[in-house]
Amino acid sequence: MTGAHFDYHEPTSIAEAVELAARFGDEARFLAGGTDLLIQIQRGRIAPRHVIGLHRVPGLTGVETNGRIVLGGGVTHRTIERTPAFGGALRGLVEGAEVIGGHQVRNVGTVAGNIVNASPAADLVPVLLALDADVTLAGTRGERTLSLERFLLGPGHTDRHPDELLTAVTMPGLPARSATAFLKAGRRKAMEISVACVAARLTLDAAGERCLAARIALGAVAPTTVRVHAAERALEGQPLTAEALRRAGALAAEAAQPISDVRASAGFRRHLVSVLVPRALHRCLERARGQA
Amino acid sequence: MKVTVSLNVNGEAWELSIEADRTLLDVLRTELMLTGTKTNCLEAECGVCTVLVDGMAVNSCTVLAVTAQGRQITTIEGLARDGELHPLQQAFIDRGAVQCGYCIPGMILSAKAFLDEHPSPTDGQIREALAGNLCRCTGYQKIVDAVQDAARVLRRERRR
Ligand SMILES: Cc1cc2nc3c(=O)[nH]c(=O)nc-3n(C[C@H](O)[C@H](O)[C@H](O)COP(=O)(O)OP(=O)(O)OC[C@H]3O[C@@H](n4cnc5c(N)ncnc54)[C@H](O)[C@@H]3O)c2cc1C
Ligand code: FES
Ligand code: FES
Repeated sequence: MTGAHFDYHEPTSIAEAVELAARFGDEARFLAGGTDLLIQIQRGRIAPRHVIGLHRVPGLTGVETNGRIVLGGGVTHRTIERTPAFGGALRGLVEGAEVIGGHQVRNVGTVAGNIVNASPAADLVPVLLALDADVTLAGTRGERTLSLERFLLGPGHTDRHPDELLTAVTMPGLPARSATAFLKAGRRKAMEISVACVAARLTLDAAGERCLAARIALGAVAPTTVRVHAAERALEGQPLTAEALRRAGALAAEAAQPISDVRASAGFRRHLVSVLVPRALHRCLERARGQA
Repeated sequence: MKVTVSLNVNGEAWELSIEADRTLLDVLRTELMLTGTKTNCLEAECGVCTVLVDGMAVNSCTVLAVTAQGRQITTIEGLARDGELHPLQQAFIDRGAVQCGYCIPGMILSAKAFLDEHPSPTDGQIREALAGNLCRCTGYQKIVDAVQDAARVLRRERRR
């Protein structure tokens, strides 16, 4: 690679990977699919002296769908797209994964890479936030689990210590009459970073009218992907009328802190949020009612 | 840091001593002289460097050669069978789906991985499958037509 000179390490266990990362600290980076890391190196943005390949570390690629949902850190977007259990209430996961880059990127890009990048425009992360995901990290001092929401600190910035490996993402199983949805707006249909994206989850009461639980998460309109608690609270316990969904969209747009850049103005991003949030909620509503 | 890497490319085994930071693209083109795999953006955007790794399309510009050890790598040079062009290659020629040709090796390999899993695709599915392969010449329609033609040939072969 142009100008890059690093030593390459290929641990064969989580413990060994963590030990290498602890030994080299800030000079080391884990390598999963490489769809972000190798480009950053190629551009000269970062110049790690040590790259720790995760390809031979066992225990990172599992998917659990019975009861709680677990995605190993090394699970690829391709695997999420092809997991049959994500066809129903969890369809938002597939919708988040299938818009990431082209097939070549999804075939190797991973869940942990998408999270640890901490891009405000990450597409899978809002869906994980809407599913109350926790992340589990393995480090030299043992394992810890914290909420994804608390893990994300700023653009490119997480609560991860240099020695910590993101081993898994865990989400509670969804109650009956729940559904998820993800919508992304970009300048073209494929191979495009989100101008704004929205993930939503709804759980309905037995009559299918009232909202028992709501989650709304946004991408590309704040320094991190974010949940909008105010909009969620405004829905919970309420009948899910068109007006209630519109109001949630307005609250989300108010909570967003978008910037203007080459892709879109802040005002347009805010407008997208106000439109996409009700639309995503409406999809959830139709999907949750459709299960009955 | 030099590492010894064993690569299996188009069914042939290679043992190479290379710098650990070299990409699969670089090694294919400059060590193995397999220049059918093209080089352009080096940022996983354009797809001209697409190769198959265990049958899956990947951008070889963003894969370290050392991580491709122990996997089956297929480049455009490995697609012909017994000296005969693969049905995709033949269909691209017959349909006039090739202009300057620069995007075509990657295009054909992406299409190969796709047809292996989706033998009877719609045009829309083909376009989606090739979203990571840019072509600046053809306008894509003839490429989609060629992939449909090849799909028909491959379905017929399968039935035999
Ligand atoms: C052309 C192109 C288009 C893209 N489009 C999109 C898009 O539309 N939406 C989107 O969200 N993203 C997109 N991406 C970004 C990227 O592909 C994804 O974020 C992907 O999920 C990154 O995963 P990876 O395995 O390739 O990460 P890598 O590049 O391997 O790693 C990324 C970062 O995460 C760290 N890391 C990886 N695994 C772990 C782990 N287990 N524990 C701790 N740290 C770890 C690495 O050290 C590195 O800092 C695109 C990228 C490209 C090149
Ligand atoms: S050169 Fe690899 S995707 Fe463009
Ligand atoms: S034929 Fe010229 S880029 Fe596709």
